[in-house]
Parts: sequence; structure tokens; C-alpha cells
Amino acid sequence: MRKNWLLRRVLASLAVLAAVLALNFVLFRVMPGDAVSTIIDPNFSPQAKERLRELYGLERPLPEQFVLYLKQMLTFRFGLSFLSRKPVWDELLSRLPGTLILMSLAMFCSAALGIWLGVKAAVKRGSWLERTVLRVGAVMSSFPGFFVQLVLLMLLAHDFPIFPLRGSLSVPAPSGAWALLADRAWHLALPVLSLTLMGFGGWALYVRNLMVRALGEDYVLMARARGLTKDRVIYGHAFRTILPPLVTILLMSLPGLVSGAVITETVFSLRGVGSFLLEALSGHDYPAAGASFYLLALITVVCNLLADVAYGLVDPRVRLEGVNR
Amino acid sequence: MSVFFRRASFWFLVFIAAAGLVGPRLLVSPADVVGAPFARPVWWRGDLSTSKTAEISAAGGRAALAADGFAKDDGLRAGASGLVFDWKTQPAAVFALEGEITADPARTVTVTWRTPGKDFELVRRDGREKYWLNLDARDMIFKQRLGLPLIGRGTERLFPQKGRYELAVGGAESFRLKLTLRGQKQGLLGTDQRGRDVLALLLNGIGTSLTVGVSATLAATLLGLGFGLTAGYVGGWVDALIMRAVDILLAIPTLPILMTLAGLWGKGLWQLVLILSVFSWMGTARSVRALTLTVRESPWVEGLKALGAKKSYILRRHLVPETAPIVLANVALGVPGAILAEAGLAFLGLSDPRLVSWGRMLHEAHSFGAFTEGAWWLIVPPGLGIVSLCLIFMDMGRFLEERIDPRLGGEDHAFR
Repeated sequence: MRKNWLLRRVLASLAVLAAVLALNFVLFRVMPGDAVSTIIDPNFSPQAKERLRELYGLERPLPEQFVLYLKQMLTFRFGLSFLSRKPVWDELLSRLPGTLILMSLAMFCSAALGIWLGVKAAVKRGSWLERTVLRVGAVMSSFPGFFVQLVLLMLLAHDFPIFPLRGSLSVPAPSGAWALLADRAWHLALPVLSLTLMGFGGWALYVRNLMVRALGEDYVLMARARGLTKDRVIYGHAFRTILPPLVTILLMSLPGLVSGAVITETVFSLRGVGSFLLEALSGHDYPAAGASFYLLALITVVCNLLADVAYGLVDPRVRLEGVNR
Repeated sequence: MSVFFRRASFWFLVFIAAAGLVGPRLLVSPADVVGAPFARPVWWRGDLSTSKTAEISAAGGRAALAADGFAKDDGLRAGASGLVFDWKTQPAAVFALEGEITADPARTVTVTWRTPGKDFELVRRDGREKYWLNLDARDMIFKQRLGLPLIGRGTERLFPQKGRYELAVGGAESFRLKLTLRGQKQGLLGTDQRGRDVLALLLNGIGTSLTVGVSATLAATLLGLGFGLTAGYVGGWVDALIMRAVDILLAIPTLPILMTLAGLWGKGLWQLVLILSVFSWMGTARSVRALTLTVRESPWVEGLKALGAKKSYILRRHLVPETAPIVLANVALGVPGAILAEAGLAFLGLSDPRLVSWGRMLHEAHSFGAFTEGAWWLIVPPGLGIVSLCLIFMDMGRFLEERIDPRLGGEDHAFR
């Protein structure tokens, strides 16, 4: 049964990927205006244009173009950027780590803080801590991320210049591996802090609800009756049972996290795939824009799949029964 | 409907919508430059300068004066040789002088700015009958000629201290000059990087946010209602197809796709509404489908079928009204999402530059150096505007949901 379950998840991910690929193809080719100009830089020489036309098969019928496009997308040959005249993939590859690090740090920090506060709130029902967590969590979800980030920038980078205003590295960059790492961390602190502030509320609310339910179960009473310590009961017994649904929110928060990364990179002028997408869009650099959109979607799909697999690992029922959630 | 009247958030919404409707008609147009760039709000403490203009026309030894913004005790006087007034605050932010002077070509015409410290000769010319002036202290050539520092506003040296200032015109037969001194503070919420009134921008942004938020959500809800009803009622492969599409759309990161669409297909208001609605109907479709599935199997629908009611009749007369409460709550809860998405796109610069919106204001604050000026009044008002609209709609949505399903209310209200 296990194979069957994994196969289903992979197929579902492939379906999303196919949709993204089709969308990307349609978006950049069925545009108002001259479709060719979105794929080939109008400023190229006629010979270069001719060669590129052949490369993309623009003279051939659309289905054939689509097959060619699929091949290129799946092998990461995205063509030349209009702006830098360099292969788009090289540029994207150099920016990918920045985005991934930002996303994973933000996710880790907001999940850790949210889970911790959520468990605390559930254990101390009716206390001021619970009320504060619930209220802050609800209000934070109405705050546009960029507003919070701008205010943080204003306070912590301008009024009290603790953190840098922009960029992922100082100019000039410090020498030495440790100094470089420290500099990177210093530049990442405010972005991660802001994303954590925005993200922990959802986790806290969800964990609190699940924990309240879990703590009311008979096995918790039983564990207490056996004389286990409070922490053991909370974390070893009750918390363990809410792990599978937690993986679900992890999964559900991923598209939002990618969106958050795009905005964050713009606000803090960080080097990443999101800021590359924006630069490409505002500079009419269509190959770069298409490729970065594709890559952002790909990140989401892959993370989704990983989260699905993790779900199966923490909840044996899923893989044993092969039931679709 | 009347249940809303007891809800504070409803009245807040009415107030904001009214401000959005009336405000732009009462205030200056948001496109007008009304003050110096990055002028502070008028209620800012300290002796910051306010905007003042003085228009003087003199001919044959007599002078007429039209002034605006000067206080009575500023001692503003006009004579055949120019203007005199007391300056009691910090330097003006913008110093501009324009007008015309007629004179005997043989004589030298001078315009001098006499300050308590030093005199600046703004103009010295001869050989013509008529001269046109258009001076601005931000002008590089102007600064260079007067020996002012090239970086900065150029007005600090022109107003070295408080005291008596004089604009003296020498050697002219007649002249008409307008002195514009734009203040360091202007308007209730200050000005932006172009000197536009932030309050006017803010009030104009209400319309954009509400229009986009409400119409995108309405369109998305109609789509969701249609797809949800179809999926739930028709069932079979149609259902499977629609629900897979929902799954797929939910798994694609929304912002990159919205960015790409807005970047490629145009940035107008209605394009934005279209783009937003196409990518936000999935939630409604899911809940409508779930409801339809339960209603479809209920005894009274079976009864209707037994009575010979057609599918379309059951859908139209019974299922659609049944879903109305859910749909209404979904509209209210969907608006914040659409408002945030619109603001996000505008913040990224992917909106029509001519369209005033809160996201656009934040975009301009971010990209035109609000930070180096410490201009919080460019960031806080639009940000709080977005937040308050979102909170209002969330509150109304929650309220509606609770009325539909009272189990949601009570103690667990806060974390839904």
C-alpha cells in the first residue's frame, strides 16, 4: 500500500507542475502584442533573432512549440536574459540559495515560536498569555507583510540604526569566512524577524486549538495518573498526537511563504529569485521572468511533495491505508 | 441587514467609505503639488516653517501686495523697492521667485535677498527692457552662482537666522514678482516626495482599495458559487475535474502568478480585479461544494425530485438560497485577501502609476527615500488604512459566520 500512496502524491505534484508549465507557456506566448517580442529581445541583430526563432521553434505550430518549450523547461535551459545577455539559469542559480535560506529560516523561526506559544497557551487556558497570543495572532494576519517590514526598517534601521537598510551583504563585503557569515546573518536578521512576526500567529492559533483538544483526551488523564511529569505528558503524549495536522499547515503555509519571500526580498533589496522576478518584470525581461516564475512554483511543488512524504512518516495511518486525505 | 447596525465595524466601514467618497471632492487633487517634498504634518512640534507666498506688483512708485500664509505680526510690507518681512521660524524648504521686471535698458537691474547675516544678489542684469525671472533654490546653477552648498535644499544659507528679511529690487521701472516660500510642514499628514498632499492621497486610496477589494471578491465569489454548485450537484467526473483544478490552483504560489499577470497583461484597475478574481475563487468553491453535497442528499431535496422538480429548478430556487449565508460570509472574509493582494502588487510597483492607491503610496515611500528623510507619515497612514479595512471586513465576516453557525461563537470565538 505504501508505494501506492507515494505514487499518488507524486502524481498530484506532477499535475500541479504540468499546470504551472502550461500556464507559463500560455502567459508568455498568448500575450497582447507581438508574441515573438516576449521571447526574443527586439534589440538583437536580425541574424541573432533568426537563430533564436529557430531555437524556440517559433515558426512551427503551437503544439510543437509546446513540446520544445517543455524540453527546455525540464532541462533548465531558459535562454538568454534580455538585460544581462547572460544565461538566465546561471543568474537564477546564483540567487536560489538566498531565497531558500530566507524561506527556511523564516519557516523554522515562526514554526518554533508559534508552536511554543501555542502549547503554552493551551496549557494555561484562560490566562493572559492565551488571550494575548490569540488576539495578536488574529490581528497579525490582517497586517500586510510589507507594511510591518517597512515599519521595522524605519525603526530598527533608520531611527535606531541597528540593522542595515538594504542588501544581503555589506559593500564592500568583509573578508574571511566567519566575518562573511556574520555579515550575512546581520543582513538577514530583520527580514527573518519580520517574517517570524507575521507567521507565528497562525501556527500559535492552530497549535493551541489542537493541543486544547488533545489535552482533553483520556490518554492524557491516564498519563497523569501514571505519575509522569507535566512536561512528559504535554510533549511526549499530547504534542506527539498533533504532529500530523501540523505537517498539514506546514504544507498549506508554503505558497504563502514563497509570496512572503518575494515581498521581503523587494523590501530589503535582498538577492533572491523573488527580487529577480520583479526586476525581470519591470525590465520587460521575459525569459528571466518566465524562468523565475517557474522556479518559484517548482520550489512550492517540491516542498509540498516533501511535506506530503513527511506527513506519511509521522502518521502511519496515511501510508498503511493508502487513503487520500 | 439590520443586525449590522449594532456592529461597530459596520459603522467604521460606512465612515471610511463616506470619507473615500466625499474627501477627494473637498480636498486638493492628489496630482497637485501643494508643498515642499517631504514636508512634515502641520501639527509637528517645533518652529518649522509654514508655506507662505507674497505677490508684489509695483509701478511708478506704488506697490500692491497679495500675500498668503503670513501672520499679522510678521510685519510684511511692500514698497516700490520690494518686500520686507520678519522670519520667525526655521528656514523655508523651498525658495522660489518668479515674475517680470521692466526697466530702462541703460540701467542695471538687481534683485537682492537681504538676510540678517549676509546679502545675496539673486539677479544683476542690464541691456534690456524686460526681464523674466524664474529662480528656484533647488536649481544647481542658482546654487552655484550664489555659492550655496550643491547638496541639499539650498535654503539653509538663504535663511541663516531669525530676523528681518528683505527682497529688494533695484533699478526697475515696474515689476511683478511672486515669492514662494514652501514650508517644512504642510497639510494634516505632510507631503510626499513630490510635494503632494498625503491626506488627499490617503483619501483617494480608499476608493481604489474598496473598489478592487469588493469587486474582485464579488467576482471570485460568483465564480466559486458556480463551480462549487456544479461540482457538488452534478458530481462524477465534473466534480473530480473541478476539485483537482482547485487543488492545483491552491498549490501554486499566488503572488508570483499575480505579479506575472499584472506585469504582462496590464496594470489597470479592472485588469487587476479580473486577475485577482480568477485566482481567488477556490475557497468559496470548496465550501459551497461541501454544503451542496450535504443538501443534495437531504430528504426535502429528494421530496422535490419526487414531485418532479427539474435539476435547474432545484439548483436555482433551493440550493442557491441555501448557500447564501456561506457566500455572504465568504465575501466579507474574502475582501481582506483581495485588498492585501492589490496593495501587495501596487507595493511591488505593478500597478498603474496614475492610479492612487495605498499600496502605491508605500511603493513610492520605499523607492523614493522616505527612510533617509525619516518620513513615517508616508508609511504609517496608508499601512494603517489597509490594516483597518482588513480588520473591519474580517470582523463582519466572523460576525456573519457566527450567525450562520452559532457553534462558532462564544468562548472559541477568537481563534476561528
